[in-house]
Amino acid sequence: MPQLLTVRVKRPDGRPIRIWVPVLPVVLVLSPVVVLAVLAAAVACLVYRLSVVRALGTGWRIACALPGTRFDVQYSRTAVLVAIR
Amino acid sequence: MNEQRKDILDMLADGKITAEEAEQLIAALQRDQPPAPSRFDARPKGKAKYLRLMVHTVEDGEPGRIDVRVPLQLLRAGVQLAALIPPQALDRANAQLHKSGVPFDLTQLKPEQLEAFVEHLDELTVDIEQPDAQVRVFCE
Repeated sequence: MPQLLTVRVKRPDGRPIRIWVPVLPVVLVLSPVVVLAVLAAAVACLVYRLSVVRALGTGWRIACALPGTRFDVQYSRTAVLVAIR
Repeated sequence: MNEQRKDILDMLADGKITAEEAEQLIAALQRDQPPAPSRFDARPKGKAKYLRLMVHTVEDGEPGRIDVRVPLQLLRAGVQLAALIPPQALDRANAQLHKSGVPFDLTQLKPEQLEAFVEHLDELTVDIEQPDAQVRVFCE
């Protein structure tokens, strides 16, 4: 399960912006939205005759496998880094 | 044994330096050794954990760099999604592929095959070099 999302943006003027997002507190705050999204996914699975348990399990496995993902893009003097820990 | 180490031992054997001096020189030599290169071919043997994509470009004289690291575990989990694609969607995708001149049947693609593909990704190495771009895909 991801713990921390790090976003770093380096602007052309050289000043970096760093944002650390603690995933668990954000998920807890957005839990009503998460519940609605899960319900919507379950309904979609039923409509398309897919196993709800299997679909949710796959989604959970993907979320758990996210830590370690890192995107680092730099062009000229601008850079963006997104890292999931 | 590398050349410098051999020279130190030769000097010690010739009596030009003492054993303590030789030890100090060898220690200094080890400190000055460059770190192991981080290239994919230098990675220790073992299970790869990440798929890495590195792109270096030069556009209009401006350097660009893309560095993406994706856990292989994420790819394995993503493969499971293939089993969740509705048959109707696969049929429509197949029709579009045929229309685009790609006679590929997605319904024949089984999750087990994709898993086997991901399992063997750690042996994958793609290295493309052009005058203004360098692309490297490997596992680490």
